[in-house]
Parts: sequence; structure tokens; C-alpha cells
Amino acid sequence: MLGVDNILVALSPFNVFLALVGVIAGTVIGSLPGLTATMAVAVLVPLTFTMEPSSALIMMGAIYTGAIYGGAYAAILLNTPGTPSAIATTFDGFPMAKRGDGDLAVTLACLASVVGGLVGAIFLLALSPPLAEVALAFGPVEYFWLAMFGLTLVSALSDGNLLKGLIGACLGLLLACVGIAEISADVRFTFGSQTLLGGVETVSALIGLYCVPVLIDLVATPDRHLKVTHQPRGFRLMEALAISWKSKFNLIRSSVIGTLVGILPGAGGSIAGLVAYSQARRASHRTEHFGTGEPEGIQATESANNATVGGGFIPTLVLGIPGTPPDAVILGALLIQGVQTGSNLFTSTDSIAFTFIVGLFLATLLMLPTGLVIGRYAYKTIITVPKAMLVPTVAFMTMIGTYAIRNNISDVIIMILLGVVGWVLNRFGFSPSPIVLGLILGRIAEQGFVQAWTIGDATDDLLGMFFGRPISLVILALIAFALFYPLMRKRIDIGRSKVDTD
Amino acid sequence: MIPTKNLKHDTAGMIVAAVLILIGVAAWWDTTTMGDPDSYVFPRAVITTMVAFCLMLIVFNLIRPVAKEENGGDTGSSPRRIFLVAVMLVGAGVMPLLGFIISGLMVFAALTWTAMYDSWTRSRLTVYPISGVAIVVGFYLLFSELLLVPLPTGMFFD
Repeated sequence: MLGVDNILVALSPFNVFLALVGVIAGTVIGSLPGLTATMAVAVLVPLTFTMEPSSALIMMGAIYTGAIYGGAYAAILLNTPGTPSAIATTFDGFPMAKRGDGDLAVTLACLASVVGGLVGAIFLLALSPPLAEVALAFGPVEYFWLAMFGLTLVSALSDGNLLKGLIGACLGLLLACVGIAEISADVRFTFGSQTLLGGVETVSALIGLYCVPVLIDLVATPDRHLKVTHQPRGFRLMEALAISWKSKFNLIRSSVIGTLVGILPGAGGSIAGLVAYSQARRASHRTEHFGTGEPEGIQATESANNATVGGGFIPTLVLGIPGTPPDAVILGALLIQGVQTGSNLFTSTDSIAFTFIVGLFLATLLMLPTGLVIGRYAYKTIITVPKAMLVPTVAFMTMIGTYAIRNNISDVIIMILLGVVGWVLNRFGFSPSPIVLGLILGRIAEQGFVQAWTIGDATDDLLGMFFGRPISLVILALIAFALFYPLMRKRIDIGRSKVDTD
Repeated sequence: MIPTKNLKHDTAGMIVAAVLILIGVAAWWDTTTMGDPDSYVFPRAVITTMVAFCLMLIVFNLIRPVAKEENGGDTGSSPRRIFLVAVMLVGAGVMPLLGFIISGLMVFAALTWTAMYDSWTRSRLTVYPISGVAIVVGFYLLFSELLLVPLPTGMFFD
């Protein structure tokens, strides 16, 4: 149980300082395209080796929390997800920034991230052992159906042309197959090229498909990158608070989605953000505004991706199975510290688990002032830097960020070429988002599909494997709902308008 | 009702679909070299689906033209666009040879020139190069010294 001692230890001046430093460092690293939350935790984790385990955990949790939020800056201001978790933030964040509301978008993202982080931490505190069991119930086939559920988002991302969206998603799925196959180790679709042997790295593809087209268009005209209003408007905190209060259900729903997706090992913040975005879009009365600068879209993504922090720690601490990639790094650091994971972490009062959870609450709350200040600075920098400095700086950041992912120049070349392909396809009505969706979900879908197929084939029960498991059926029902809900809603609206005219 | 004269074939979309069909054919051919069914079952399913959607796009376009929105045409500078991509590709290509700092400075200088729409005043001629060097060297130090990313040093700094 949580005790006063845990709170006192977590709130010691040194731990508060560590949480503050961790949040700032994480936010700055996360805001740089190419540097993911995993990388932020990995590069800073050696700093924690000489610390007490509880302090080390607090700092790593703070870095992780800050990095997930930091990804929103580049997503909103440059149309480049700073981390993969912020993919869906670009959909509405960048259009808001383009029309002059970048400051509001950054503040909304900060508030949503705080709400998501707090909800994830509450779940971690209250429901860790039972929720960890859910993670164990997910087998390969459930992951396959989860990926298929994610693909239903294509209809929302297709910019009015579903067929082109579906083609884009297939192209993304195919790109995910390039390189060495994970299960059989066959070399696929490289056509003899050494450059393609390592496959299409997801983050470099994200940078290429989202950021390079922006650069290509930015350099072509003397127009400003973002619309600028001349009146100083500060953080626009009250406005953001009012909008957040109006969409409180969206925030809570997205945070819960983020927590639950975070619990599933390997799923991560990008899928959480995309699923929450699609659900927010379906549930909203302003569906048609999504993708054109709708605050609810930013709130859904940012609350969901920060909720994965708390959610991901549930299987990490209870089962020793990392929920998200950064959790794997943190788990390694914990083992070096001599901390044994397991459900007993949550039963004894002197456990560092509770100290860490209090620290996570603290880091999340510290994210509000630090996030607002850093966000304001980032926004002012982007709108005041002249184009002749902005273009080379962003281009240079994309190159070094992409290189740093795997220390591989091939990734940089693939990133640039994918950017050109994305720009061309976009001009012909093929949005880059379905391609990205296919690329992210492709590996999960293939791995789940092949493993489930192999098990089903070996047990001579393929149908039962794919359609006979309770969780699979629940996800299948959700897929059916996601696919047919727009039709149902249309019919209901037509029925209502008929009644009104009668 | 949409006026008939605004209905057009989405030729560009059909060309992209045709190119993707060709890519699908090439990818299918590549799967024939794979020995393990685990390697080709999923990609073949994806290729089949993609080619089917592409054919649907072409057929629907031919039998049912769509109303095209006028997007006002393209007013941007294509040479600058092409130059940006070329500079980035060349910069990445020579990075292992010249090292990160030199290729980075070259990319930065070339793109500053490409993105420059204002006149070159004396202050800009002073501030922009200094800023460029500071940004390239600053990022180099951040990545190589703090984040311990082994950036290419090239033949001049070995």
C-alpha cells in the first residue's frame, strides 16, 4: 500500500530536482525529430546508475514523460512528429499552427499530456496487478486483430478518397516488409540493394513522409512558414483550459485508451495515439473538422500517448515484461540496480514502486509549467526565425536525427527519397498518413498473423485460432463497429432530419 | 447536382495506380525467390489487395469521372524544390567521405542560399554564416559528445 514514507521520499528536494531535470531533458530531446523517447531514456540512463534505485526510477520516468510530450512541438510547428507517439498530433496540430494558432495548440497539447500522464499514473497506482493479467491474455492473433483495428483508421485519414487511402495503407504494409523478415530471416524486396537491407526504419520514414514535403514546399515560395498574429497572446492558458474542460470526456476516454494500449507489450504510444484519435473523431460532433485543425484531435493523441507511460509500467513492474520500448530500457536499468520486479512490489509499504509512482505524478505535474515555457519558446523561435535559416536548420536536423537512429547513412537517403515520394503522392491525392499507418502496423500485423497461422496450422484449428478466442472476438466487434458506425450514424441523421421536417 | 463539364478523369491518380501495380508485380516476382512460406504469405496478401484496389481505382475513374476541385495551380519555384532535394541527397552521399561537419556545413550553406528570398544585407552576410556554423557544430557536439552517436568523421579528421 501507498504510505506517507513513499510520498516523503519522492518529494525530497533531490528527487524533485531530478524529476525537474528529467522532464526538461526529456522534453528537449523528444522535440528533436529522430530522437525518440526510447533514445532519450537510453542515453540518459547511465546518469542514474550511481543513484538510489527510487531516485533513478523517478528520473527515468520523468525523462520518459517529458520525451513523449516533447514530440508534440515538432508535430505542431513543423508537421514532423518529434517522436512516433506524436504522429496523430500532426493531423490537427500543424493545420492549427498554419492558421496562426500554434501557441494554443502547444498549450492544449501540454494540458492533454498532463491529464493523460495523471490518468496513466492513477491506473498504475490502483490497478496494476489485475491489469497486468490482461497483457498476458494477448496472444499473436490478438495483436494481429489489434493491428487490423488500427487500420480502420485509414477511412479517417484518407482526405475524402477512401480507395486512395486503402492503396496508401497497402503501400505502407509493403514497405514494412522490406529488408530481412523477422520470423524467417529471408531477404525481401531489396532487389540487391545494400541500402534497403536494413529495411525502412519507422522513425526515418515518418520524418521523410511528413517533414521533407513541408521543406519542399517551404523553399518554393517566399511566404512565411506559419501565419503570425502581431498581438502578444501569452500561453493562451485560459482559452486552452476552457477548451479542455469542454472536451473532458474526450480527454478521459483517450487517456484510458492510452493506458490500456500501453499495457500491451510492444504496442506503444504511436498506436495509442492513433487509436485514440480515431475514436475521438468517431465520437465527436465535429467529425468533419478533424484533420483541419480540430483541438479535440490534438487532445486525444497527446493524452493517449502520455497515458502509455503509466500503462506501460504496469506489465514492466508487475510481470517484468516491458509495455513499451522505453520501458525495456528502464527495466534493464532496474535489474542493474538490483530491483526485482513482480507483484510483491505492490504489496509491501517500503516498496520503491510506490515512491516511483508518486515521482511519476510529480514529473507529470512539473510538465505543466516546464512544458508551457519550453513550448512558448519553441513557438516564438519557429515564427521569428527567417526562412533562410529555418529551412537549412530543419533539413539538417532531419538528417542528423535520422542518422542517429541506427548510425546508418542509408536511413538518411531512404528518408529523403520517401519524402519526395510522399510529396509527389500527396499532390496526386494520396495522403501520407495511411502509408505511415501501414508501415507502423505492418510489422505487428505480419508477426501476429504468421505466428497465429503457424499455431493454428499446428493445432489443426485455423478458424478457431483467428475467430474463436474471446479477446479476438471483442476486437473483431470493435472493428465491425468502427467500419459500420459512419453508415449507422448517417442513417440516424437522415432519420432525424426526416422527423424534423415532418 | 454536379455540373457535367466539371467531371474529369483523375489521370494522375490512375498513373500512380498503374505504377503501383507494376511495383506490385515486381514485388510478387521477388516473393518467388523466397523459400519459407512465412516470408511470402503476408506480403502476397498485401500485394494482391493493393493491386485489386489500384485496378478498382482505374476502373472507377474510367467509368465514373469525379468532380475535380480547382486548387489554384502551382505557384512555387520548382528549381528550388529540386535543388533542395538534390542538396540533401548529395550531402548524405558525401557524408561518409567528407565527414559530418564539412558535409553539414555544405548542406547548410547551399540550403540557406536556396531558401533566401530577401536581399543579402551586410548584417545577414555576417549573421547567417555564423549562425550556420554554430548550429552545425552545436548539433555535432550534442550528438557526438553528449548523446555518444558515432557521427562520420570523414577523411579529413581521421
